[in-house]
Amino acid sequence: MGDINALVVFYSRYGTAEKLALAAGLGAIQADANIRLRRVADRADATSIAADTNWKKNLDRMNRDYVAPRPTDPIWADVIILATPAESSSEVESYVASLSSIGSMNGKLAAPLAPGNRESALKPIYSAAACCGLIVTPCGESSSDPIATATAFGQRVTEMARALKRTS
Amino acid sequence: MLTLRKAEERGKSDLGWLKSYHTFSFGGYSDPNHMGFRALRVLNDDRVAPGKGFGAHGHRDMEILSYVLEGQLAHKDSMGEEHVLGPNEVQAMSAGSGVIHSEFNASETEPTHFFQIWLVPGTRGIKPSYQQFGYDPNEKRGTLRLIAGPEQDTNPRSAFINQDARMYAAVLGSGETITYPIAPGRHAWVQGAAGDIEVNGIPLAEGDGLAVSDESSLTLRGAGACGGELLLFDLA
Repeated sequence: MGDINALVVFYSRYGTAEKLALAAGLGAIQADANIRLRRVADRADATSIAADTNWKKNLDRMNRDYVAPRPTDPIWADVIILATPAESSSEVESYVASLSSIGSMNGKLAAPLAPGNRESALKPIYSAAACCGLIVTPCGESSSDPIATATAFGQRVTEMARALKRTS
Repeated sequence: MLTLRKAEERGKSDLGWLKSYHTFSFGGYSDPNHMGFRALRVLNDDRVAPGKGFGAHGHRDMEILSYVLEGQLAHKDSMGEEHVLGPNEVQAMSAGSGVIHSEFNASETEPTHFFQIWLVPGTRGIKPSYQQFGYDPNEKRGTLRLIAGPEQDTNPRSAFINQDARMYAAVLGSGETITYPIAPGRHAWVQGAAGDIEVNGIPLAEGDGLAVSDESSLTLRGAGACGGELLLFDLA
């Protein structure tokens, strides 16, 4: 059992953000964290999803592979890794905004990431995370290998959470 | 010394889709007197409802073996491995420096019954790996068939594990007897997988386990009307 708990929350339609989330989660495990993987539910209506074959197919698979975030998850977590698609960050932003109603997030890390580190997707999440007391740790890297970057990010934020825990 | 762990004394969890018996502490079942035996850390007897399973989750530094008794198990992991496992097949995953995987009952109609076995690795942080292969069920009838061990490239094939431990399977007909020598200083765990067997005269029903220390050999015998199936772990 690791000494750091990493909650990996993501929203994904076609699997790109899911891959980043898995890579970051793997990095957290490599840094000796316990992880929980959670997918935020769609905000789009069922008709819109059903009209997009790829979205629907991925959704059916992801509904099987992941559970939705639970209220106890952020309390358990030392670091919350947040993966969002570049084109739609409102699902993850809403999730983060809801955290303050669950309990104190002070001293926990938030680690958002998006494909290509798209600023327009990440900024609302940075803001929502800061507003509920999370310490925001940007990925700050964009490389030709986003999976490797996400894995390294997962390792790095786990080490940061460990260092923070030691000094608190 | 032979120490019996009766099936009904095991930890139990029921999530509706998963009915699980835990020979050793696992998840919500925690008993400091049953934290494992030598390198054998987890021995879960799982029954998974059709189409259900374990969503994506992570592991690190554990040798994980799956032994299917009935049904099929679909596996997918962060190494890109995606397979379906059934009876008379071996699945061994070295979690090493870290893996994320999911396991589901591959059937929408039939339940899956399997043992999930975790062994503490001999070395931490190794590169994760996955092995799966099938074997002829006759290879375990009346004899101990090596399923996993610390040797590479065995003949017949067995799964390589990063631990000084060997796992065997055997199906013994009623009255059929085999003897297994235990090297000095080594230990064994025998798990009843199906039917009835006897180990050094001690009856072992399905789900029963037997810890073995300071013994020089085991006499394994198929008991009851039909005999039984067992797993044997030879442990340092």
